[in-house]
Amino acid sequence: MRWGMVIDLKRCVGCQTCTIACKQEHGLPAEIFWRFVADCEVGEYPNVRRLFLPMQCMHCANPPCVPVCPTGASRQRSDGIVFVDYGQCVGCGYCALACPYRARHLIHEVQWYFPGGPTPSEAATSQPERHGVMTKCTFCLNRVDAGLADGLKPGEDAAATPMCSVACIANAIHFGDLDDPESPVARLIKDRGAVQLLPECGTDPSVYYLTE
Amino acid sequence: MTTERIPVYCYQCVAGPDLLKVIVRDGVAIGVEPNADFAEIHPACGKVCVRAYALIQKLYNPNRIKTPMRRTNPKKARTEDPGWVEISWDEALDLLTERLKGIRAKGLLDESGYPRLAATFGSGGIAPAYLGTFAAFLAAWGPVDQGIGSGQGVKCYHSEHLYGEFWHRAFTVAADVPRCDYVLSFGYNGDASGGVTGVFRHAEARVRGLTWVQIEPHLSITGAGAAQWVPIRPKTDAAVLLALLHVILHETDWRRTCDIPFLESMTNSSYLVGPHGYYLRDPESGKPLVWDLDRDRPVPFDDPRLATPALEGRFLAAGVEIGADGERWSVAEAVRPAFSLLLHHLLPYTPEWAAGVADVPAATIRRMAHEYLEHANVGGTIDVEGTTLPHRPVAVLLGKTVTNGWGGYECCWARTVMAALVGALEVPGGILGTTVRLNRPAVNRLDSVKPGPDGFMAQPLNPTSREKWQGQPHIRNAYRTLVPLAADSPWSAALGPAHLPWLFMDSPPEHWPAPTLPEVWIIYRTNPAISNWETGRIEADLERFPFIAAFAYTQDETNWYADLLLPEATDLESLQLYRIGGTKYIEQYWDHMGFALRQPVTAPPYDTRDITDIATELARRCGLSKEYIEAVNRGAGVGVALRGEGYDYALDPAAGPSAPEIWDRVCRAATRSLTGGKEERDLAWFKANGAYFVPFSEKRYYLHTAMKAQGLRYELPYQERIKRMGAELANRLHERGITWWDVQLQEYQPLPAWKDFPDIWAKIAVKHGRRPEEFPLWLLTSRSMQYSWGANVSLPILADVARHVTGHFGLMLNRGTAKRLGIQDGDLVEIESATGRTRGHAILREGVRPDVAVALQQFGHWATPVARDFDMPSLNQVAAMDLDLTDATGSGADVVKVAVRRV
Repeated sequence: MRWGMVIDLKRCVGCQTCTIACKQEHGLPAEIFWRFVADCEVGEYPNVRRLFLPMQCMHCANPPCVPVCPTGASRQRSDGIVFVDYGQCVGCGYCALACPYRARHLIHEVQWYFPGGPTPSEAATSQPERHGVMTKCTFCLNRVDAGLADGLKPGEDAAATPMCSVACIANAIHFGDLDDPESPVARLIKDRGAVQLLPECGTDPSVYYLTE
Repeated sequence: MTTERIPVYCYQCVAGPDLLKVIVRDGVAIGVEPNADFAEIHPACGKVCVRAYALIQKLYNPNRIKTPMRRTNPKKARTEDPGWVEISWDEALDLLTERLKGIRAKGLLDESGYPRLAATFGSGGIAPAYLGTFAAFLAAWGPVDQGIGSGQGVKCYHSEHLYGEFWHRAFTVAADVPRCDYVLSFGYNGDASGGVTGVFRHAEARVRGLTWVQIEPHLSITGAGAAQWVPIRPKTDAAVLLALLHVILHETDWRRTCDIPFLESMTNSSYLVGPHGYYLRDPESGKPLVWDLDRDRPVPFDDPRLATPALEGRFLAAGVEIGADGERWSVAEAVRPAFSLLLHHLLPYTPEWAAGVADVPAATIRRMAHEYLEHANVGGTIDVEGTTLPHRPVAVLLGKTVTNGWGGYECCWARTVMAALVGALEVPGGILGTTVRLNRPAVNRLDSVKPGPDGFMAQPLNPTSREKWQGQPHIRNAYRTLVPLAADSPWSAALGPAHLPWLFMDSPPEHWPAPTLPEVWIIYRTNPAISNWETGRIEADLERFPFIAAFAYTQDETNWYADLLLPEATDLESLQLYRIGGTKYIEQYWDHMGFALRQPVTAPPYDTRDITDIATELARRCGLSKEYIEAVNRGAGVGVALRGEGYDYALDPAAGPSAPEIWDRVCRAATRSLTGGKEERDLAWFKANGAYFVPFSEKRYYLHTAMKAQGLRYELPYQERIKRMGAELANRLHERGITWWDVQLQEYQPLPAWKDFPDIWAKIAVKHGRRPEEFPLWLLTSRSMQYSWGANVSLPILADVARHVTGHFGLMLNRGTAKRLGIQDGDLVEIESATGRTRGHAILREGVRPDVAVALQQFGHWATPVARDFDMPSLNQVAAMDLDLTDATGSGADVVKVAVRRV
C-alpha cells in the first residue's frame, strides 16, 4: 500500500480551485499554501508554451525531510504518507531546507485575512497546534483514515479522498494506491507515461505528472 | 458538535448555476464542497469553482455594509467623505419610499419622456439569480429605465448576442465540445470564463484528442491548453477569418469540400440577388427566386419541384426587388445567386493579404483552413438518442473584443459562414447556441423557432418602417430607436448601447431628447465607476445624480456617490429558487433541467435583509402591493407562473407574504410545471434536497432539429434583411436630421467587408490632439476566473490564491518590449492613452505580443476594501467612451492604444 497522486497536466487550467479547497479543508491562514498551481512559461516569443504545474508535498518514498528532523517529528507512515507530528516539531526548519520541492511551510504567526482578527469561520477552523511548527500537505490523511474506517475507498469515494482531488473541476488530480497495479493511478502511470519531478534527487515522489 | 451540509447553488458567474453544499458546524459556515448528490446529473460532476469556496468569506466579511446607511454630506465627490450614518431598515425604506412616492405624484416619465426611476443590475445574467422578487416590484412600478449601463452589456459578446440570436438563436455560441475534434478559437477564453462545465468539457476533450488552436494577442489560460498559439494583432481577427473563407472557397474545390446539400437547402446561398442588392422576387408571391438548373429558369425558393438550385453563375431572370420602405424595382437582367456573390466578395481576401494585416503567416492561415476542412467530416452522421444527425466536428469560437465593437459583425458573420459552408451549424460537433435572451420563450431556444418571411425564422426586430419606428426613445439608451437587432425583450435594455446615457449626459447629440438624470437610480451588484470606460467621467456624472439607492455589499466606487446604502442578504443568506439545467451559457449543456434552491445556511451575521422581503415591503409602502403580487403570480422575477395547467398557487393580492411563503409557492409551481402537473415539491423539500430535475433530451441542443421540422433556412451568407433594415433606419434618422449615427449605419452590409478596424482606435489620438505614433502599444484585458463576475474583489482569500496566476496584480508586457523600454520585472510603469493615465507594476512575459500590454479584469479600485490596496491598473481608466468607438449594435471593445514608460 502506497498512497499516491497522478496529476494530469493536460487537464489542469490553473484555476486554483484545489488551492482554495485545500486552504479551507485544513483551515490554513492567509499566505500559507500546502499546495498551489504554478503558472509557468517555457520558450521565447513567439514559440512559447504556458503550463500549469500543481505543486505540493510529493510524499516521497525516500523523503529527505525525514532524516534531517532533529526531533523525529517528520515521519513516514507505512502507507507512504509523510507527515509532521506537531507535538514534537520545534520549527527549526531543517526539513524545509532539505525539501527540493519547497513543500514545507512554517507558520510563524497566524495571519488572519482581516486586520480585526479571525472571522467566525476562521476561528472555527483554526488549528493552534500548527502555529510555530512546520506544516505541509498531508494527503488529507484524516479523510483517508476516516474513510477507510468507514469502509470507503480513497480515490473513489469522495469522503475518503484528498480535498484537492475532490474539488478539481477538470478531474486532473487522481488519488489511489500506487502499489495496486489495477488501481486507476497505477494504470494512468503505465498507460500514459507519467513522470516525477526532479527524479535526479532520488526522492521517488508519490506524486506523478501526466504531460502527454 | 453538530455538522450540517446545506445544499445551495452558486451563480457568481454566468456559466452557472452550479450546485454545492455548505458545511455548517455548530451554526458557523466553515466550508464548501461539491454537491455529490448530483454528480450523475451535473455536467461537471457536481463541482464548483474557486469562487464558490470564497462564499464563506463573503458571508463573514467584516468590511461589509452591516446595516442601512444614509449620506449626511450632500456634496458628492471622490474627495468628499459621504458621512455615512447608520439607520434602521424602517428609516431606510421610508427614505426610499418618500422619493418613489414623489415620482409617482409627478408622473413616471420626465419632460424628455424618460422614466424618472432607473435601475441598473450588474454582471449580465447573474443578477436575476440573486434579485429575489425585485423584478416583480419593478414590473408593478411601470416604466423603469434599465438601460443606464455599467459596462456589462456593451462590453459583452455583444455582436454575438445580437447577430447570434438572429442567425441561429445563439445568445452566446459554444462548440459542441464533447463531439468536436477541431476548434479555431479567436480569443475565446473558456477555460477562464466557461465555468466549471466549460473547464470540465475542455479537459475531457483534450485528453480525448481534440485539437484546439488559439489565435489571440497574448497567451491566455485557454491558450495554455491549446495545441498551438497563433499570436495575432489586436482587432484584425476579421481579416484572418475572411482569409480562411477565401482559402476554403478559392483554394479548394468547394463543390467537394463543402456541404452542398446544406448550402442548397438550409441557407439562402441559392437566392438570386438583383442589381440593387436585394433578393430577386417573384412578382406575384413576393417570394425570393432561385435558379433551377434542371428547368433552366427561376422558381420560388420553396418550389416543391426544385431539385438543383444554382449556387454560382449569372442568369438572365425577371422579377422584382423590394428595398427599404417598400421601394420596388422591376428587374429583367443578369442576376447571381447569393453564393456567387459570396465567392466574388471573398476574392481579395487572400492569406497573403491577411498576413500583412494581422501579422499571422499566410501558411498558418492556409494550414488552419485545410485542417478545418479535414476535420469537418462533411457527409458524416452520428446517432444521438436514436436519431441520426449530421456530425461536423469543427468549430470556430470568438472571444470578447473579437465579438464586440467595430469588427464584431464581420467576425461573427465570417465565423457563422465558416460553419455553414461545411454544415457545422447547430448540428453535433459544430457550433451551437446556448440560450436565447432576445427571443421567447426564454427557457427553450428551440421553441423560439417560428416561421418568418422568405423561408427564414421570424425575428423580433425593432421596427424601422416609417409607421412603426420608435422615433422617441423610451429610455436613455434608445435601443428601440437605434438598434433593430436588440429586439424588445426584458434583456434588451441591457443589450442596447448602454453607454450612450453616460456619453450624452455631457454632450447631447443633435435632434435628440434633452438628456436628463433619473430622479431615483437603484443599483444592484454593479459598479460602473470601475466597470465602464472612462471611469473618471462616470464619477463626474455620478456627482450629479439626485438620489442613488444602492444595494451594497461593501463600500465601493459607485456607491460612494449614493444617498442610501441597503445591505441585502447575500448568496448564503437569502432564499431563491432558480432555473437550472437544459442549455445555457457559456457551456452549460445538461441532460436534465430543473430548479435549484439557494437558502440561508446560518443566521445572518449582520443586519441584512432578504431582497424578496425588501421588494414586498417597498411595494406595500408605495401602494403597489396588488400589482406586485400579480406580477409575482405571473412569474416576474421568480421564473415560473404560480398558476398553470392543473395547479394554482397564486398569492392573494391583498396579502403581504414573507419570502419563505412566496418561495414555497414558487417551489410547488415549479415542480408542477416541470412535470405536467404530476409532481409537487415544497420549500421544505427543496431545503433538504437542493434541486429537482427532469430529463432533458440532448437532441434539444441542436437547432437543426427545429429548423428541419419546420422547413426553415438559416439567413446566411447573404444579409438582405440587415441591408434593408439599415437603409430604413438611415431614412428614419435622416428624416429627423440625425446624422451622428451615420458611421454606425455603414455596418448594415449584406456581405461584410474588411475595414481598417485597428485604425479606428488609433485615430482617437488625433481627436484629442495627439499623434497615433505616441501610443504604440495595444492595451487589452483578459479574464481572471478568480474574479470575473462574482462581485468578490473585496475577498482577500481570492487575492491570496489569485496571486499564483500570472497577471495578478500588474501589467503584463512582452519581455523584449520591456527591455527596449528599459522596464524590468516589477517596475512601476505609467500607462498613458490619449484620454487618461494610470499606473501599475510590470509583469514581464514571453506569451504577450511585443505590441500588446494586458491588464486582467477591471480593477483600479480606490474605495472598495481590500481591492483598493491591489495597486492594479485598469483599462477602463484610460479607455475612451466615444461614439466613434461604438458599432451599429451599440457595443464597444476593451482595447485602447497606449504608451508605457517606467516611472
